[in-house]
Order: sequence, then structure tokens, then C-alpha cells
Amino acid sequence: MNEEQQMLLDSAQRYLRDTYDFNSRRDMANSEQYISTTHWQAFAEMGWLAMPFGEQHGGLGFGMEEVALLSEEFGKHLVLEPMLESTVVAGSVLTYPGVAVESSHIDALVSGEKIYALAHQEPDTTADIDNLSAHAQHVANGLKITGNKAYISAGAVTDYFIVTAKLEGQLALFLVPKDAEGLTVTRYKTYDGRSAANLAFDMELPFSSLMARGDLARSAFMTMRDRAILGASAEALGAMQAALDTTVDYTRQRVQFGKPLSSFQALQHRMANMLIQIELCRSLVGAACRALDAGSEDARRLTLAAKVKVTSTARKVTQEAIQLHGGIATTDEYVVGHYFKRVTALESWVCSREDALVDFIRLTDAA
Amino acid sequence: MTDYAAFRLEVRQFLEASLTPELRRAGKLTTSVFSDFESSMAWQRILHAKGWAAPDWPEEYGGPGWDIHQRYIFQEECKLANAPSIIAMGIQMLGPLLMKYGTEAQKTEIIPRILSGDDVWCQGYSEPGAGSDLASLKTTAERDGDHYRVNGTKIWTSLAQHSNKIFCLVRTNKDVKPQAGISFLLMDIDLPGITIDPIVSLDGQVEQCQVFFEDVEVPVTNLVGDENDGWSVAKSLLEFERGGHNFTIDIKKQLGKVRDQALRIRGRGGRPKLEDPVFRTQLAEAEIEAMALEQTELRIKGSFAAGGNPGALSSLVKAVGTELSQQFNELSVDAVGRAITPYFPEGLDPHFEGETPVPDYATTTMAEYINNRSATIYGGTAEVQRNIIAKQILKL
Repeated sequence: MNEEQQMLLDSAQRYLRDTYDFNSRRDMANSEQYISTTHWQAFAEMGWLAMPFGEQHGGLGFGMEEVALLSEEFGKHLVLEPMLESTVVAGSVLTYPGVAVESSHIDALVSGEKIYALAHQEPDTTADIDNLSAHAQHVANGLKITGNKAYISAGAVTDYFIVTAKLEGQLALFLVPKDAEGLTVTRYKTYDGRSAANLAFDMELPFSSLMARGDLARSAFMTMRDRAILGASAEALGAMQAALDTTVDYTRQRVQFGKPLSSFQALQHRMANMLIQIELCRSLVGAACRALDAGSEDARRLTLAAKVKVTSTARKVTQEAIQLHGGIATTDEYVVGHYFKRVTALESWVCSREDALVDFIRLTDAA
Repeated sequence: MTDYAAFRLEVRQFLEASLTPELRRAGKLTTSVFSDFESSMAWQRILHAKGWAAPDWPEEYGGPGWDIHQRYIFQEECKLANAPSIIAMGIQMLGPLLMKYGTEAQKTEIIPRILSGDDVWCQGYSEPGAGSDLASLKTTAERDGDHYRVNGTKIWTSLAQHSNKIFCLVRTNKDVKPQAGISFLLMDIDLPGITIDPIVSLDGQVEQCQVFFEDVEVPVTNLVGDENDGWSVAKSLLEFERGGHNFTIDIKKQLGKVRDQALRIRGRGGRPKLEDPVFRTQLAEAEIEAMALEQTELRIKGSFAAGGNPGALSSLVKAVGTELSQQFNELSVDAVGRAITPYFPEGLDPHFEGETPVPDYATTTMAEYINNRSATIYGGTAEVQRNIIAKQILKL
């Protein structure tokens, strides 16, 4: 780890340890606010929201490796604020070379003043990019877009949606304000304590809302997807590591049959297996981030591999964490089940495990 | 020779006529072993009027006198028709236990009220410090004339907030080895000194409670079995808890649900998710596991019917049944993908009529996935079941 990375990690660990304890996080998750503006502002002041952007956008020019460092800490503390959704995912699209967007939007995103989120997933479908029902057509003074989007992460706090739709048979990306005429936003809470929204739209938008189409839209989307996958994988890595740490602590303290649970060899082996699997994930996520930052040819294949491995491991590790705790882990007031719920939500965010697996096979066989 | 086809038809016709749309809705929206409380009780009263509230009970106590195959058919048809579940603590657990260990007075006073649903019982076994190691329990009952004075606490007491009665394991002798100093005690839950704290579960709902006892006076006549003989009474109850359930019926229902979900989701190329070879293979493999479980349950049923005792095989079935059921929860999660994310508890209330952000086919998926993690914890953890197999079958 270089000096800059160490500083980033130190500041993240310090801030989250001091301000992001589980009980205040739980109160926030149960409130009607969805996220803390205080935290969001603090994230902006510490530069976290400007991290992955180039200096031309007022950013710090960090790569995916640094994003992953921060995401992992967010995973450990179950952070509710939408850094991944807005900064990493929407930010990746808005700053992709060739994507047409007013610079004021990038300023608002980088400063954290406005929140942006991808609205791609549609009801009753997987997130397959070729399987969109939402469609756009040219009309007199702009474009008419019709369709439905569902389960948009951070949707309840989003100011601008990046909406995917088919335009003349091609993928197109639109930037749509939450209060656009003809757009209905249904906001709700999610099982992992965050927010989401469903969108129903039949709206006329100016030409300027079309950010990209065709090959450009597709490559902006795929680049965004790689970054989303690695951000989510790093967060899941943090969550499962915290789940293991919590389990180890608990089994040391919990006495049954006259001795601590941690002294039973059968349980020691299970915790050892959790550690082994987490370390394998850590290796893959790290390698994929470095490959992506270096622009290596195998970056996407590594990214997909990380997605598949992390998704199954996070599921298994957090399930084991609950099982090794027993009843206490099935309660809302105990932290370990919340790691389980968070990694479950991350499984299908932007890209499902199965889509990653199929794309991995495609890439492997094409090589 | 019973005509099972005719019996199945009779059950089906009864269910068709008696299950109101509201009750079916409650059954459909069930996300744990318990359905909506009021719906469960309403259904129990309907079954009681027909004489079918306790399928496993002998006729002398108000059971229908069915053989093991009829009971299986009844359970299966109820599940298929989306009947709400019947609360197990009275009918499945305490009733059979009193038939075996209760005094005449207990049998005549308590058993009919279990059957009618006039009394709702909850189970006070686990304590904060006594889970897998149940025998280490510390709630005490000290003899004081014709009363016991009870102090301590019980946890994971399902539905205590809806119950008017509780059966508990209490310590009546501290000076012997743990198992030898335990007694089985019945109490009214509104006795002075009893307080109930609801516990919010990981799915945001309240099903479990912690119950506190402070100088609670319980008549000595509420003892079941002999003083200090509660452990053997309790062990037989755990066998009822483990053996009285046919996992195959639930799992077949889950399988049908996953298939339906996977047909409703369009995957790559717009084709149903069920045609996705990755997903389809996983589902087929789980189905094969379910077939192995079904044949094992049939073997056990055969041994019961022949007057045998499956013994520790019920531990095998509990371990496999709960873990396989969890595997189907995961397949459901995989099938519906992102539709698991909305947290919309209103939609799980059978009386709710309104818009929900979750499609019908995914309403219960995440809550079921979360709640069913406890299936390998309650009623003896997956680890305890393996201890029993190691000890009783492998003689280790």
C-alpha cells in the first residue's frame, strides 16, 4: 500500500469508527430520511466523493484500487450513503469520454451536492443489457421515452436518474431529473436498510437529455458495470470480513457445555474455512482492481471472476456467521444478520452472478 | 383398507369449501413457520368444528383417528390449498406430552382447550445462557408450600405476545448434575411477576419474545411429570418437535414456487429464467436432493406404520430437511433477483389492499430467506442433530 492509500484508509477507519457505530446506523436505517446529510457532507469534505475523478473534473484521480479500499471499510460499517451508486457508478457514466453531459452535472456529482443513480433494471427481468423494454423515439422538440424501471438502488434519494432505453434499436443513456414531467417515482425502503425506487415513465425530454447511444452507450455501460462489480465486491468483502470477526469474538465469549464455543474443533474448522474463502476473494478483487486501473487486457475477465467468487462466498460466509452465533444473530438489534442482508442485496446489484458467469465463459472461449 | 384416493378427495372438497380467500391469502403470505396469528386461530376453529384440528391425536382426545398416510395426505392438501399453519406449541407439542405425562386433571382440563384454541400456549425452554446446552438452564422454581416461586428468564419464546399460557423448563434442584434437577411447569402468562419483551427479528417483524419471571407463584399442581424429571419429559417433546413434521411437503411447495418464479422472470434473450441452463441445472440438483429426502421420509413412515421407532433418524431428517429448505430459499432468491430488495411489510398483512412495489411472486421471498436461517437453529441446531447422530447411530 502506498502512502496515499494508507492515508485514505486511516481517515476512513478513523471517521467510521468514531461516527458510524451500529446503533446510530440502525436508527438512521429505521428513520424516514434514508441517509444522513451530515455524513454525506463529511464524505464530500474528506474528498471521498471526488476520489475516482480526473483533475479536469475537480477529482483526486484515484483508481479502482482506492475505491475498493474505501468500499471495504463501508462494508464493515454497513454505510447507508450511496457512494457506490452516485460517485462510482453514475460518476463512471457521466465522465466517460464522449458522453454528452453539461459540466454543471459533473460538478454537482463530484461535490456531492446532487445524487445520481443508474436506472437500468426493469421489472420481471434480469439486468441483461440486450433485453430492455424501455424505448425512446424522436418527437418534434426532443425525445419521448416510455417504460418502467424497478429496484433502483438509492432511488429514494436520487436527484437525477441515468435511464437506459432502446432508441431505434440501439442502447441509449438518458439523464432524467427526478421531477421530470411524465415520470412517477415510487420510493421505498429495502431490506438492507437503504432506499430504492421504481420508475414509471411516459415523458418528453429535450435532446440534451440524451447522453450517449449505440457503441458509445454500450462501452460506457460496460465500463460502469466493471466498476460497479468491483465496488460491490469490495464492499461485500468488508461485510464478510466483519461478519467473521464478529463471529470469532462471539464464539470466544459464548460458553456452552462449560467452555467457550471457540474451543470446539468442529467450529474452529468452520471459521478457518470462512477465513480461507475470504482471503481467496481478497486476492481476486485486488488483482481485478489493479488490472482495471492498469487497463490490462484481462481486466474484465478478472472482474467477472471476482464477481462470481465473491457473490457465492459472501452468501456462504454470512450464513455461517449467523449459524455459528445461533438465535442472537436472527435479531434486528445484533449486527451480524445485517451483513447477511447487505451482501444479499449486493448479489444482484447492476450485474447478477449468473450474468457474470455467462460473460466470463464467453470471454474465456473467445480468447 | 382405507380408500386413500377417496380420502384425498374428501379433504380437498372440505378445504375448497372452508378456506376463505382471506385465509388462503394468509397462508400464501406466510414467511416463517407461523402464519398471521388471527388467521391461524380462525382456521383452527374451523378445523375443530370438523374434528380435524389435531390430525395426529388419538380419537379419545378428539383426534380424527387417521393412519399415517391419511395424516400425510391431509398435511399435503392443506399446504397445496394455502391453508394458514396451525400453531404447533399446543397441538403438536404440549398436547401429546400431556397425554403421556399429564395427571388426569391436567388431561381433562387442558387438552380440550388446546384443541379448541381457547388456550394459546408458548414454549419456555431456551435461556440467554442456555441454547444448544439446554440443560444448563438457570430459571429456578423454589418450593414454598403448595406453590413454586419462579425466577429467571426465557428467550426465543415464539408468539408469547399472543399466548395466555406458557410451559417451561425450570430448575428445581441445583445440587445434582444439570439434567437431573429440571422440572416441567405450566403457567398462566398473566400471573403477577411475568413480563414479556418482544424481540424484533432480522426481517423487522416480531415473532419471538423474551419472558421474565420475578417471584412468580405457580401452584404445585401445575407440574407435569415428577419433580426433577422434567428433562426426560422435555426430551420426548423435542422428538415431537422434530419428528412430527414432513419436510418433503414444504419442500415440494417451495420447488413449485421457484419454478413459477423462474417462469415469470425474463432472462437473457427474453427467455424465461427457467430455461437458463445454469439456473436449470441448480434447480434440478436441488430437486434430486428433495427426492432423496422424500424417500427417506417414506422409509421412516413405513417403519412407524410397522410399529417401529425411527429414533435418531428423525435427527437426520431435521438436519437435511431444514438445510434443503434453505437451499430452495436461495434458489428463490436467485430466481427473482433484484425483486427481493423492497422492504414492504404492509404487503405481508393478509388484510392489506393497496399498491406494493414488489411483484406478487416475490412478496415473501426475502422474508422467507431471512426467517428460514433460524430453521437450522431452533428445535436443536444442525450441529446438535449431528451430535445426536454421532452419539446414537455411530456410537461415538
